[in-house]
Amino acid sequence: MKYKLSIFFIIGLTLYLIDIGLNSYDEKEIYISDQEIISLVTAWKSQVGRNPNDDEIARIINNLVEEEILYREALKLGLDREDRIIKRRLAQKISFLKQESIPNSPTNEDLSRYFDENNDKYFIDPKYTFTHYFFSSENSSLERSSQAYKDLINNIAINSDPFFLGKNFVNVSMKKIKSEFGEDFSSNFISIELNKWIGPIESPFGHHIIYVTNFTKGYLPNITNVLKQVEVDFLQSQRDEAIENYLNKIRHEYKIYINPDLQI
Amino acid sequence: MKHLRNAFLTVIGLYILTLGLVYVDVYDSRPIINIFKNIQSDSALKVVDFSLEKKDSSKSKPKPNKNRNPYYGDLHVHTKYSFDAYVFGVTASPDDAYRYAKGEGVKHPLGYEMKLREPLDFYAVTDHGFYMGMIQAYADTSTDISQNEFAEPFHNLNRLDNLTVESAGERSNIFSSVLGATIIQPYPDWHPKLLKAYLTRNTQGALQSFDYDIHKSAWADVARSANEHNDPGHFTTFIGYEFTTSTDIEGGNLHRNVIFNSSKASIRPWTRIDSINPEDLWTWQDKLRDKGVDTIAIPHNSNGSNGQMFEMESFKGNALDLEYANKRMRNEPIVEITQVKGTSDTHPLLSPDDEWADFEIMDVRVGSRPPTYSKPSGSYVREAYLNGLTLEFTKQGNPYKFGLIGSTDTHVVAASLDESNFWSKVGLLDGDPENRGSVPLKEENVERLDEYMRAFNQPVSRVSLEQGEYANTGFTQWGASGLAAVWAEENTRESIFNAFRRKETFATTGTRIAVRFFGGYNLSSIDLNSEYLVSQAYQKGVTMGSDLLHNENKIPEFLVWAQRDKNGAPLQRIQIIKGWIDNNSGRPKEKVYDVACSDGMQPDPATNRCPDNGARVNINDCSISTNVGSSELKTVWKDPEFAPDDKTFYYVRVLENPTCRWSTWDAIKAGYKPREGLHETIQERAWSSPIWYIPEQSDVEVVPLGGTIQLRNID
Repeated sequence: MKYKLSIFFIIGLTLYLIDIGLNSYDEKEIYISDQEIISLVTAWKSQVGRNPNDDEIARIINNLVEEEILYREALKLGLDREDRIIKRRLAQKISFLKQESIPNSPTNEDLSRYFDENNDKYFIDPKYTFTHYFFSSENSSLERSSQAYKDLINNIAINSDPFFLGKNFVNVSMKKIKSEFGEDFSSNFISIELNKWIGPIESPFGHHIIYVTNFTKGYLPNITNVLKQVEVDFLQSQRDEAIENYLNKIRHEYKIYINPDLQI
Repeated sequence: MKHLRNAFLTVIGLYILTLGLVYVDVYDSRPIINIFKNIQSDSALKVVDFSLEKKDSSKSKPKPNKNRNPYYGDLHVHTKYSFDAYVFGVTASPDDAYRYAKGEGVKHPLGYEMKLREPLDFYAVTDHGFYMGMIQAYADTSTDISQNEFAEPFHNLNRLDNLTVESAGERSNIFSSVLGATIIQPYPDWHPKLLKAYLTRNTQGALQSFDYDIHKSAWADVARSANEHNDPGHFTTFIGYEFTTSTDIEGGNLHRNVIFNSSKASIRPWTRIDSINPEDLWTWQDKLRDKGVDTIAIPHNSNGSNGQMFEMESFKGNALDLEYANKRMRNEPIVEITQVKGTSDTHPLLSPDDEWADFEIMDVRVGSRPPTYSKPSGSYVREAYLNGLTLEFTKQGNPYKFGLIGSTDTHVVAASLDESNFWSKVGLLDGDPENRGSVPLKEENVERLDEYMRAFNQPVSRVSLEQGEYANTGFTQWGASGLAAVWAEENTRESIFNAFRRKETFATTGTRIAVRFFGGYNLSSIDLNSEYLVSQAYQKGVTMGSDLLHNENKIPEFLVWAQRDKNGAPLQRIQIIKGWIDNNSGRPKEKVYDVACSDGMQPDPATNRCPDNGARVNINDCSISTNVGSSELKTVWKDPEFAPDDKTFYYVRVLENPTCRWSTWDAIKAGYKPREGLHETIQERAWSSPIWYIPEQSDVEVVPLGGTIQLRNID
């Protein structure tokens, strides 16, 4: 009996030694090969059409390192082993890493803190009510609109063109003005005077003389009015943060080797 | 003990008897025993309200515009829940899709960022209903279903280290062969799941490879995400899915997207496992409508249907009749004319006199391996309109009186609309220029491609050209298109859905051209320079998607007004495409009229063509002429060859000045010349829904050889 037991012991020891022998490399060293980086940079370049700048290269490499770390951690948890419990645990971890875990419902304090820290996300755009005369670029719009502006000031009736999207705009947001009239046009609204003809202002469609009658300042809504949105955003940020924390926690356990002389 | 045994035997006996009765019910062509029909429940007709309890509405909605605003969106978007998208490496969710539509950046499976130049007004995630959510569950090794043998090829498919171009071969193999074999795995005939599937009319429940709970939770997440991101007045979403069906022998593509009108939807999507016959889909839609849930189905990629999307007979080969026409139109008011997989306006063989017909033609059947030709007749929208008139001519009703939209069919959650920044749509398979075939393959990739093709027993799909070896996998026929546009009072679900129903819609190839289109008998009285021109046109005429009734032999007039995309090329011309049935000969005819030309020029009355405006593209850097083309075009046009007795339709096509095609952009960025044999430039365009002229009812008797149509209503 004793003899049989010691056979198992010897077999076990042999296997252990073989295992050590075969796995002599350090699991916590990551070698990123030049070729790996170059192939990623090439893929980036072929899509975007230019070389990535230093920041972008740093991001590409950083992503690569993070991927490698997560991958090694996954391996360490036994992805390649046929154990049901470990498999399940690993899959939970991976899905958590892929932001699919559902955290508990946040408290009111959590939400109001998040709301305060991310004010700009919930800021309601300023809104404008205005009318305009439009002069189509199909018909010398600059000359006609300049003349019309003078006539307007002197109370002379003027002829203008109909604008495709209409004449009167009631309570439209800055965002909407930008999308309908273009970026340059909308920038004129930032410090615009009320109840006064202003122009001509150019858009991609021609020239406009505008008259703003009302302006609602942008404002921060009461949190209760956007609570649902805050909750959604908060949970998302929690998930992002959880991954970041996880990475930060284990990142320093790794030594990273990157060829400092690599030319791209 | 004996009692126990008897009871046991009785249960087994009853079970076998039930199975026997079901067998007779299912397989006997004249079932005598029809008892099960009465106790069957229909799982696909259970309606769920997916709306969220606390939805805030603090933001003020802009005032509705009675003259209606143009809104742009995409009604054809896939996420990781689609069986094929997941195989293509996509892990992005419906939430990511809606964030992208609102203007945020999302990541392509190859790692680069995708971002819209300008946010969209509406968006609908439409994952394949069939096997929705299942492939993801196969890949996740913690699920029970992944423990089956058929799920093994999918295990951890989208792990980070496998998101590479190199995995494309493995992926396309999984897509077409493994997937096909996997999904036909029914339980044995005696299995209780089979009985349950039968009694709940839920065929998919009889398949071993299917898990109903996973399926329902994927669908619920799609619906939740849509409702969460819906923001009345600012951004609209729709609950939707794709009904992925095809004819069973020729593989003629019959895909449709189903769009729901509210936060309510069925508890599961009706899919091709329920039936591959689109007419059964319409029956289901009709029944849902009786329960207060309105839906529309939007056919797409008719170009890859091998002539079967717009056939002259029913799915089962019967004659079309009025009932068919009404049912189809009730459920399919609009059609997707353009998307990444080509444009289905018309084909050069169908419209030999249309110089713009050879545009983004995709001439193979969708998903065919090896690629198989799709015959043009029956596959294109313009011919369908003509066929609809012919069917009406023979008193069979018009099942092809639909409006038009575009969409992308992206499988990476992000619509690819910009020729200068194109990522196509199937993730790792076409996410880079080499695989799309726009730049030559590197040497190692040539070998790789050949290996894959050999391994999967497919013909070698590369071609040797002047600049090198190119992949010839069919992706060169795909393109950066398109958008769905509507005229609606406000940006809400209700308002936009009503526009679909009215067919007050237009389609673009991704550009944001806007086009107004009215028909009437007194539109020339409207001053085109008046501020009130739109409200007057609504008063005096009908708009796109409508019927224009005959009026004492008066000649119809059409008012059309188009505005350029502020970020796109200027406009080159507006055309009106007219199609009609000659009442004397019964022949279908079509004609393209240029009605407004850029730079103040006039169409030649003899040729109906605008003079060349001189706009050119520099193929070396894709720059375009800046001093020609128009920011807007408008006119009133009177049909010069009008015949009051002919059934006629009119629709608008607006053309931009030419610009570089995506394949040219790809080549230039990589330092090559554009690949030979491909169009170097394209003309981005928009199409309006038609206006149909309805002549006075004729009382001519129609007697086709073989009898009268009305008698044939065999199912």
